[in-house]
Parts: sequence; structure tokens; C-alpha cells
Amino acid sequence: MKTFVGLFAASALFGIALAVAYWFVAHEEATGAALLGCMAAALVFTAGYAVVAERSADLDGDDPNEPLERVAGEELGIFTTRSAWPILVASCSLLTLAGTLWSPALAVAAGIALILCCWRLGAESARV
Amino acid sequence: MIEWLTATNHKKIGILYIVSTLAFFVVASLLAGLIRAQLARPENTLLDAHQYNQVFTLHGTAMIFLVIAPFGIGLANYLVPLQIGAPDMAFPRLNAIGVWLFILGGLTVFAGLAAYGGAAAAGWTAYAPLSELTEGTGAGQDLWFVGLLLVSVSTILTSINLLVTIFLFRAPGMTMWRIPIFTWEIAATAVLVLMAFPPLAAVFAMVLIDRHLGGHFFDPAYGGNPILYQHLFWFFGHPEVYVMILPYFGIVTEIVATFSRKPVFGYVGMVLSAFAIAGLSLGVWAHHMFTTGAVSNPFFAAVSFLIAIPTGVKFVNWIGTMWKGSIELSTAMLFCIGFMLNFLIGGITGVMIASPPIDYAAHDTYFIVQHFHYTIGGGSMFALFGALFFWFPKIFGVRLDERMGKWTFALLFAGFNATFLPMAFMGLEGMARRVYTYPPIGHLALLNGIASFGALVMGVGTALFFINVVAAVRRRVPVPPNPWDGYSLEWLTASPPPEFNFHELPPIRSRIPAWDR
Ligand SMILES: [Cu+2]
Repeated sequence: MKTFVGLFAASALFGIALAVAYWFVAHEEATGAALLGCMAAALVFTAGYAVVAERSADLDGDDPNEPLERVAGEELGIFTTRSAWPILVASCSLLTLAGTLWSPALAVAAGIALILCCWRLGAESARV
Repeated sequence: MIEWLTATNHKKIGILYIVSTLAFFVVASLLAGLIRAQLARPENTLLDAHQYNQVFTLHGTAMIFLVIAPFGIGLANYLVPLQIGAPDMAFPRLNAIGVWLFILGGLTVFAGLAAYGGAAAAGWTAYAPLSELTEGTGAGQDLWFVGLLLVSVSTILTSINLLVTIFLFRAPGMTMWRIPIFTWEIAATAVLVLMAFPPLAAVFAMVLIDRHLGGHFFDPAYGGNPILYQHLFWFFGHPEVYVMILPYFGIVTEIVATFSRKPVFGYVGMVLSAFAIAGLSLGVWAHHMFTTGAVSNPFFAAVSFLIAIPTGVKFVNWIGTMWKGSIELSTAMLFCIGFMLNFLIGGITGVMIASPPIDYAAHDTYFIVQHFHYTIGGGSMFALFGALFFWFPKIFGVRLDERMGKWTFALLFAGFNATFLPMAFMGLEGMARRVYTYPPIGHLALLNGIASFGALVMGVGTALFFINVVAAVRRRVPVPPNPWDGYSLEWLTASPPPEFNFHELPPIRSRIPAWDR
């Protein structure tokens, strides 16, 4: 078993144990029981995904004696060093949220801009 | 300028985080100075009640959401790819979205100062229904929620990015059980963020719905429930204190091992205790709600006490690392020793107030203010300065002056303890937190006077640090790749590192690749 699978499996077991313990001690307090229940469910979901993902995870980093001929960076692909879209996505997010509170017109305009920026960012990241 | 606005490289983004958190740190420190100036004398009139509420709200908000937590994450942004031998983070553009959401969110919080009625004034916890009052206030509280909603989304995005990077982008030979403890602590922090921050984003959105869109989540007049706010907030709020300490545990571990010239003692114990702390911290949130009478005090007290065990493991391991090492008392090491001494006081007072009978007496007094400043200020902030002295040569290619650094440490350590130790006694004498003035009874005038003088000493120490930074950047004396004889991978590349970190990856056959050579 890979370390990350064990990590998420242990976290899920811990989440379940905590939620069950809370249920026995304080189930009349519904908010905490619901929060811990949701958390345990999220951790179980993550652990399940980790088990499935382990099958296709064959990493150089997991072999303690992996030779260095295949230097990292080559097979990881080329990394982008600049993009204008992230700061635009962040700015449009702020304007959309502010618009929702104070100005529906701004919310609509900034929301459309946000979708366009996310779309261009996605298209750009498909290239580099 | 454009180069920085559009940067996606993890080192540039890390520097953006570090510089912006230090800028927020200066503002939050000046606000702390205003608090101590107002409280220096009883019945002082420097600030009125409403101004004081804004000042302590912005001070706490900035230190927690805009300084201590994001500095840890920002430093991780810089260091994690270097420590595991990766060319960049897994998702560079997502990383850039994260940093800009953070910076814009922080500026939005402070934009409240320009609003009619002033900035947010409901404390860093912004309890509803207090934070839902719209009468007589302008947009300040709204901007606070909007800004921090962006900051919380930013933190979630960056945590996903860090986890994927750590799990999938390690260099050949860098197995999970060889990555440096700092990177492990960041992995635990990221898992914790993913559990704790969604409820925060949800509760902030709920308050905004109440304030603007006619909701009544927290309004008892319409069947809402204020206790619900406290549950959702503290389900985030307690884990947040570990988001603010786990990265700094990692920093201390790296610095202590380097300057003791010994590999980390109890490596596996360090890793497991980080995850034990993260896990347990998700089951203690209502120790902030003991006095509401609406929660199971025995459950939350018991789980809170348990956290002392993995934290004790860390202390044993740090001492074990130093034991019989050839210790060099550099500035970074001094800050780590200061961290241990201060954090011990913060931790032990924490165990005290985890006991409901004591908490009933201490709740909302200066005893609590003393406790959390010893953990966040005496703990995390000292490790933050340690990290700056330790990694400054790697990040900026120039070295800070050690003699000035030691003066900074001495002033901060003395000033910190003079400021916050008296607060324990103010609390025992019944002084309530968040009040803008107090009557001249008991020893309150004397204790507050000492605290304000201590704050002045800390201010001098902080100013000296920034003088040190300016002087170092002006001197421009280049540094070798490994000025401290560190053991982890980041010390095997140039200072500052090239664009994709390593021209040629060194062989990794142990936890101390730089000492294997
Ligand atoms: Cu707590």
C-alpha cells in the first residue's frame, strides 16, 4: 500500500471513530453530529478515491533506489511561467461577489467576465 | 510590475505571499500599538469605544487571516517544490489565482476603513447576530465578510495544489518517508484546511445572505439560531489555530536539526504527531463554547486534553534533536528556542482552560488573550522570524546581519514576555477582553503599564528587523548555495534557485541528501 493511501485510510477511520464517539456522548446536539458526520463521509470518499487512484500511480518518487537518468522536469512536462488570466479570475471573483451584494448589474457583468476568464485560462493551460 | 502580476512560478508566488503578509504584519502591528497606547492608562480617551472595536477587530483579523496562516502557506509555496525536487507546483495557474484572491481579499477587509460607519467592528470571530446588525453601520462589516470569503477560497485552492504536489511531484528517490518534516507538516495542514475551511466559507456566505438577501439563519426572532454560527465558525476556528502552528512546527524542526548538526530525532514520530494533532483538532471546536451551556463539555474537554500528547511528542523530539548535538546559536536557532519557551507557556495555559471549571472563570478575560498570544505570537511569530533569518539567503540571495538579528531576538523576546505575561494576571483580576478602557482598581494600571511598555520594546525590535532587511538588500553580498550547512534538497541549488529549481538533480538516497555528499 502506498503511503498516501494509508494516510487517507487512517484519516477516514479516525473520522468515523470521532463521529461515532460524538454520537454516543452528545447526539442530542445535532449541529456537531451533522458536521462530524459530513467530515467522516468526506474522508471515506477521499480514502475510497485514493484506493482506486493507487492502481494507476506509478511514481519515480516512490522507488527508494530510482536511478536519476530520468530527471524530474522532463517527464513532468513544461511549466508555464506567466499567465494574465489568474489575476483576472481573482479580480472578477471579487467584483461578482460585491455585485451580488450591492449591484445586480455589476454581478451579471463580472460573472460573465469571470466565466470568460476561466474559459480562456483553461484553453491556455491545455496548450502549455 | 507586469512580470509580477502575471507570474505563475511557485517561487515568485511564494515571494508575493511573503511580501504581502509582511506588509499586513506591519499594519497589524501598528494597530496593536494603538491598542496598547489606549490601554496604557486606566480611563484613557485616546480612542473611543467604536474606534477601539475597529482597531482590535482589524488587528486580530489581519494577524490570523492575513499574516500567520498565509505566511506558512506562502513559505510552503516557495519551499515545498524545492524540498521534494520538483520544478514547480502541480497547478501553477491555480497557485496564481490563490495568491491574488488572498491579496485582493486582504485589501477588501481594510477597504472597510473608508466605508461609512468605519471598518468591521465585531471582533475576529464576527459572532452573529452582532455581525448582522445593519443599523448605524455601513459596508465595513460586509467588506470584511467578502474579503475573508475570498481568502478562505484561496486557502482551499492552495491546499489542494500543495497536496497534489507533495503526493505526485517528488523527484526520483524522494520517497514519502524521506521528505523533510516541514513538507510533512504542510501536508497535514493542507488536509486540515480541506476539512475546516468549507464550513467557514459556508458560514460567511450565510451571514451575507442574512444581511443582504433576507435570510434569517442566525436570527432567533424568525426561528434562526445564533449557536449555529458559533458551531460553524469554531469548527473552522479551532483547526485554524493548527493551520497557524503546524507549518511553524515544521520550520522549527528544520532549523533545530540544521543548527544541532544532527538529523531530526524521531522523524516518524514527528510525522505521526502532526497528523494526530490535525485529526484531534477537528474534535475540539466547542471548547470555545463551554459557557454557552449548549454543548457537551466533558467530550470537548477530554479531546482537548488529548492534543497535549502529540504536542509533547514534538517537544521531546526537538530536545532529542538538540541532545548532544553541536549547537550553533544563530539568530534562527535563537528564535526557535524562544519559540519553544513561549509555546510551552501557551500550551500549558491551554491545557488549563481546556478544563471547563477553569474556563468558566477565565472565559472572555485577559487570561485567554494571554494564552493565545503565547501560542500565535510567542510561538508562530517567533518561528516566522526564525524562518525569515534561515531562508532569507535562499530566497533573496543575500544574508541578514546576524548581530542585528540577535538584537531583534532579544528585544522581541523580552518585549513579548513583558507584554503578555502581565495579561495572565489582568485576567485573574477579572479584566474583560475587548473593552476599550478599564477602571483603576487592583493592579490593573500597573500591569497594563508594563504590557504597553513591552509592546514598545517589541516595536523597536520589529523596526530593527526591517532595517536589517533594507541594509541586506542594499549590500547585495551574494551567498553560496548552502550558507548554513543545511541537509535538505533546497540547499543543493543556487541562492536564489534557477527558474525550474535544479539544473541537475542530486541523488537522493536518504533523508539528508545534502549531508550525504
Ligand atoms: Cu480551540
